[in-house]
Amino acid sequence: MTTLAPAHPRIDWSGMVLALLLTLVIVGPLLVVATWAFTEVWRYPNIIPQQFGFRFWGQTLGRPDVWNALILSLRLSTVVTLLSALICLPAAYAFARMTFPGRDILFFSFLAGHAFPKFGLLVAIAAIFLQLDLIGTFWGVVLIQLVGTLMFMIWIPVAAFQAVDRRMEEAARDVGAGPLRVFWSITLPQAGPTIAAALLLSFVGTFYETEGAWLIGAPGIRTMPILMISYINNQMVIQYGAVLSVLLWVPSFIALMFARRIIGGGAFARGFGG
Amino acid sequence: MSEIVERAALPLAQTATSRRPIGLLLVAMPVLLVIWLVIWPAINAISRTVWRTDVNGNAGFDLSSYAFFFSDTYSLGNLAVTLWTTLVCAVLLLVISLPIALYLRFSRGRLPAYVQALAILPMFVPSIILAFAFIRVLGPNGMLDILLNALGLPKIRTPYLTPWGPVIGLVWDNTPLTVLILLSGLGGVANQAIEAARDVGANAIRVFWHIILPRISNSILVALSFSVLGIFSSFTLPYLLGPASPEMLGPFMQRTLRDVQDPIGAMTQAVVAFGFCILFGLFYVRSVARNRGNR
Amino acid sequence: MSVLNIAEVTKTFSGGTNAVDRFSLDVAGGELVCLLGPSGSGKSTLLRMVGGFEQPTGGRITIDGEDVTHLPPERRPTGMVFQSHALWTHMNVFKNVAFGLRLRRMPAKQIREKVEAVLELVGLAGYGDRMTTQLSGGQQQRVALARSLVLEPKILLLDEPFASLDQHLRERLRDEVRDIQQRLGITTLFVTHGQDEALSMADRIVVIANGRAEQIGRPDAVYRDPKTPFVAGFIGLMNLIEGEVKNGHFIRSEFTTPLPIADGPATLAIRPEALDLTASNAPTARVHRVTDYGSHGLVDLDLADGTRLKSTVANLDLFQAGQGVGLLPRAVAAYRENQQIYRS
Repeated sequence: MTTLAPAHPRIDWSGMVLALLLTLVIVGPLLVVATWAFTEVWRYPNIIPQQFGFRFWGQTLGRPDVWNALILSLRLSTVVTLLSALICLPAAYAFARMTFPGRDILFFSFLAGHAFPKFGLLVAIAAIFLQLDLIGTFWGVVLIQLVGTLMFMIWIPVAAFQAVDRRMEEAARDVGAGPLRVFWSITLPQAGPTIAAALLLSFVGTFYETEGAWLIGAPGIRTMPILMISYINNQMVIQYGAVLSVLLWVPSFIALMFARRIIGGGAFARGFGG
Repeated sequence: MSEIVERAALPLAQTATSRRPIGLLLVAMPVLLVIWLVIWPAINAISRTVWRTDVNGNAGFDLSSYAFFFSDTYSLGNLAVTLWTTLVCAVLLLVISLPIALYLRFSRGRLPAYVQALAILPMFVPSIILAFAFIRVLGPNGMLDILLNALGLPKIRTPYLTPWGPVIGLVWDNTPLTVLILLSGLGGVANQAIEAARDVGANAIRVFWHIILPRISNSILVALSFSVLGIFSSFTLPYLLGPASPEMLGPFMQRTLRDVQDPIGAMTQAVVAFGFCILFGLFYVRSVARNRGNR
Repeated sequence: MSVLNIAEVTKTFSGGTNAVDRFSLDVAGGELVCLLGPSGSGKSTLLRMVGGFEQPTGGRITIDGEDVTHLPPERRPTGMVFQSHALWTHMNVFKNVAFGLRLRRMPAKQIREKVEAVLELVGLAGYGDRMTTQLSGGQQQRVALARSLVLEPKILLLDEPFASLDQHLRERLRDEVRDIQQRLGITTLFVTHGQDEALSMADRIVVIANGRAEQIGRPDAVYRDPKTPFVAGFIGLMNLIEGEVKNGHFIRSEFTTPLPIADGPATLAIRPEALDLTASNAPTARVHRVTDYGSHGLVDLDLADGTRLKSTVANLDLFQAGQGVGLLPRAVAAYRENQQIYRS
C-alpha cells in the first residue's frame, strides 16, 4: 500500500509486480499466437520454432472458405452498422434534445437487454426466429446483431449530443444560421468524434460477435469467428488458426486506438454502471 | 430531418405541443426493436414453457419441462457446474481486479499507464482469439509445458477441457470491465478523505476497510452483477475450452436448441438462467439507471 | 430615438412563476444599458428574449420599429456574447468570426477584409489561424465579441461576458468593450450582477429584482438616490435600519434621529460615508471592529439590540473596539411599503 502516498520518489514495487504479471498473462499468450502465425515448423519440446516463414499465410489466404467468411463478416458488419446508425442516431438526437411523453422510461428500456443473461436471451430470440424461418439466414443474423448494438448506439450518441454546449448552438442561430445549418455545422462536428467511435465499436463488435452468429447463423452463415471455431475444433494445422487470429486482430487494434478517447473519458465505464 | 432539427431548436414554450409526435416517432424504431427482440422473446419463453399444448391438443398450465429439468441429473449437473463456474469467476475477478484498480487509482506516471493499458487490453481481444491463445499456451504440449520442460519440471495437468478452462478464459475476458467499473467507483473516493484518515492515524489496511470499501461497495456489486450476467450464460469460452460433460448452461442451451431441436427444452433452460440471474439483472439495471439519472 | 423597445414583456415558466413580469424599457440608439440584478432576478431571461432564445408569454419587443417578438434568433438584428463564450471549438478564430458572413454568402475576399478588420478592432490581429482552445479566457471573450460585431448588429447583447475572467482582466476588458461600443456607437444591452461593472460602463442602469424593474436611471442617480430599499441595499454599502417613526423621530433601540414623516414603521437608509461618529456621554452604539482599508477606515458598530451598522471614517486612531459612540447621520432616505417617502 505504498501507493497511497504518491508523492514519494521511491521505487514503485507494486506497480512493477503488476506490470510484470500482466505482461506475462495478457501479452504472453498473444505473443505465442503471433509466433505460431509466422512458424513453419515448431515441434515439442523446442522453446522457439525450428523454422520461421510465411508459408501458411499463403495457404490460409488461398482458402476460399476464409475469403467467403471475411467478405460475409465485412458485409454483415457494414449492414448492421449502417442500419444501427440509421435507426439509433435520430433516436439519440431525440432523446438528447427533445421532450416527449415517456422519454425517460423509453430511454431506460434499452437497458432491458442487459437485465438478462445474454445467451439465455439469444436462445429465447432464436426460438422465435425458428418459427419465422430466420434461422440460418443473413437477415436473421443482422437482426440479432442489431439488438447487441442498440444500447450503446443509443447511449453513447445521446451523451455526445448532450455534451454539445447549447450556447454554441444558440450562438450559431444568433449569427444567422437556420436550425438545419446549426445541426450540420455545429452540433454534428462537435458530437462527431464520439459518434464515430460508437460506429466503430458497433462495426468491430459485430465483426467479432460469435454467440448470436453461431446460434442463429449456423450452418448457412459462416462469419470469421465461426470459421475460427471450426478451425479450433476440427483443423489439425495450428497455423491456420494463428494466421487467422493475427488477421482478425488488426481491426480490433484499430478499434482500440479509436475507442481510447471514449474509454479514457470514463464515460464508457459509467455507461456500464460503474 | 430539417423539420426535426427546427423543432428541436425552437424554444420550449412554442413547440411543447407540436413536437411531441416527432420525438416519439424518432425513437419508435429502436424502441419497437427492443420490444420485439428483447421483451417479447423473454415473455414468449416464459409463457410457452408454462402454457403448453399436450398430446391431445389441449392447451393448459404445465410445468412438466421444469419438472424434467430439475429431476434430470444431467441438467442438474450442468446447472451445478454453471453455478460453480460463476461463483469461482466472480471471486477471482474481484481478487484480481481490486488490487489493480486500487493501484491505478492511487498512482500517477508511466508505469501505471502501462498497467492500465494492459488491464484494458483483453477487452479488445475477441474471445475466439483468446480461446485459441489459451489452447496454444495451456493446452497439452502448449507454451507452458514447453517452458516447464526446458526447466526440467514436470508438465502441468492442462485445464483445457476441464471446468477450470472456462474459468481462466472468462476471468481473462472480464477483467478489463471489472477494473474499469471499480476504478470509476474509486474515482468517487476523495484524496482528502484518505489523507484525513491517515492523519488521525489509520494504517493502509484500516483506510481500505473503513474509508475506501464503504464508498465503492456499490461499484463492487455492479461489477459483480455485470460479470455474473455475462458468465452465467457464457457460450464461446465454455464451448471451446470446457468439458463436454457436464457442460455450462450456454453450450447446453445451444445443443438443446440446434442439435436436439427441442426449443421448449432450450427455453426452459433459458428461463431457469433468467431466474438465477434476476436479482443481479435488476440490481444492475437499477444501478445504471440511477447512475444515468443523476447526471 | 428609441432603437429597442420592450413593452410589458412577461415570461411565465411552466411552474407558473413569472421570471419576467410586465417589463418595459426603451433603449436609445448608441446607448449602453446595464441590466443589474442578483442571480435569478430574470435579467438573463429578459436578454434572451431580446435575442430570440426565449419566447415571451406576453408583451412585445420591437427593434427599429419592427416587431421581432416572434422571430427566431437568426432573423433578428441582434448579436449575443455569451458568458461561456460559446466559441465553436472545431473551428479556428477566423472561421468562428467568418461563419455569419459565410451564411450571408459574402464574397471570400470581402469576408477576409471584414474579419481582419474586426479582429484588429478587438486586439486580436493575426490570431485568425489559432484554434479557439489555444486562447486565454480574455482572448476567447474577444473572439466572441468579434463574432457578434462583424455582422454589425443593431443591438449588441452581452450576457455576463466577464463573469468567467479574473478581476484584473475583467477591469481591462470592460474598459475596452466600452471604448469599442462608443467608437462604433452600437446600441448595447448588458447583463451583469456586478455593480462595479454596471456603474463604470453603463449610460443607464436598470436594477431588476423578481422580474421587475426596481429603478431605471443614470449610474450616479441610482447610487445617490435609490428609489426602493432593494436598490438601496443592492448598490454600494448601505445601512438599512428597520424601525418606528414617532413624533417626527425615527427610533431603533437607543438610536433616534429626526425624520419628518407620519408615524408608523419605516426603513431608514444611511450610506456609511454619511454616518458620522461622535464622542458621547450617552452612547447609542458600541464599536465592534475597526478595519483599515488604507484609503479609509471602516467601523463596525452594534446597537444595543445587536443591529450591525457600518461607518466610514478618515481617522481610525480615534476608535477602538468596545468604545461607546454617538451616531450622527448627515444624509438619510426613508422607505415605507417599498417606496421612498423621504430624502434629506
